[in-house]
Amino acid sequence: GAPGALPDPSFLWSVFQRVDKDRSGIICDNELQQALSNGTWTPFNPATVRSILGMFDRENKGGVNFNEFTGVWKYITDWQNVFRTYDRDNSGMIDKNELKQALTGFGYRLSDQFYDILIRKFDRQGKGQVAFDDFIQCCVVLQRLTDVFRRYDTDQDGWIQVSYEQYLSMVFSIV
Amino acid sequence: PGPGPGPGPGPGPGSGSGSGSRPRPGPGPVPGPGWGSTPGPGSVSGRGPGAAAGNGNWDRRRNAPPGVDPEAFSWFQTVDTDHSGFISVKELKQALVNNNWSSFNDETCLLMINMFDKTRSGRIDVYGFSALLRFIQQWRSLFQQYDRDQSGSISFTELQQAFSQMGYNLSPQFSQLLLARYAQRSPNPSIQLDRFIHICMQLQSLTDAFREKDTAMVGNVRLGYEDFLTMVVTRML
Repeated sequence: GAPGALPDPSFLWSVFQRVDKDRSGIICDNELQQALSNGTWTPFNPATVRSILGMFDRENKGGVNFNEFTGVWKYITDWQNVFRTYDRDNSGMIDKNELKQALTGFGYRLSDQFYDILIRKFDRQGKGQVAFDDFIQCCVVLQRLTDVFRRYDTDQDGWIQVSYEQYLSMVFSIV
Repeated sequence: PGPGPGPGPGPGPGSGSGSGSRPRPGPGPVPGPGWGSTPGPGSVSGRGPGAAAGNGNWDRRRNAPPGVDPEAFSWFQTVDTDHSGFISVKELKQALVNNNWSSFNDETCLLMINMFDKTRSGRIDVYGFSALLRFIQQWRSLFQQYDRDQSGSISFTELQQAFSQMGYNLSPQFSQLLLARYAQRSPNPSIQLDRFIHICMQLQSLTDAFREKDTAMVGNVRLGYEDFLTMVVTRML
């Protein structure tokens, strides 16, 4: 179909059923984690799983139903596309340079040292590069932090003046 | 350096309207690492090679390993339902309960695993589990102290008193904000042990970060975009 279009609902339904191992009608953290691959022999980052489910679970039930799952499916599939685009050497991992290109491509303007911090924090494989799951988590966190910073940076000059409690509220709203 | 923060639209598409932030529209789909049905290890139970070797396989007839409380050891064996020698978030959820018998929520279980997992694999071994139990027990005692009316959860007033006793100087509005975010919806919102632990740990970490910047101790700081990002990312639990 057209790029960006959802696939056939019966296809999505068959995926849903495969992932919903206990047939509860809800895909929980554990089930989604088992269905996803980060391209290595390690389990998919549980924090990324939680972030994704948190975005699409409209009822705070700890998982997604079939309707919500269609959003999850598209979200993950779109991330696959992005990852492939920036994993230019096709290594299955995104190195520091590829990460720079990806984030710069999204519009971020960050220092070289900050990229070292990002990789150190998000790379769970310990290879100085980010796998698919860690890449998603990195981008999600960066986006949330940027969103909240923007809300406070009313004159958009890249600086904010905040009190202790404002700072706490900012971060508590996204963790 | 640089004028302002990057617009950072992020490729996150879709319109998740859950409690997390909203991702933005993105490009179309193409295969890659992602779903486990594509070539890749996703459909493997994620235990990885070597799990059966090393300190993974504790014989039930053996005593607890050195430094591990026997009770913690026996609990570990019960919780490690797939006998992998490691406890995952899912198994941990079954081990940890609030005072109202509800399981610990996923976020707190994740936080606990990250704290006690030295290998960043997303699961803990018997040593990590033993340390985790001691940690939770300390928090449970503290929680019970602050739960003045012994209701099993911490109310608005009790939360305020807890913060004050812990040395935090926080406004009632801030406590309200936390209750709105973390409490179960009810006429008398209150906080369970799992969320109480999460809140206190975040509070501690964020306060440390703020103090580092507010050297003049005026309670107010000027932060550049990257400063802010760095403060949060480096101290993220």
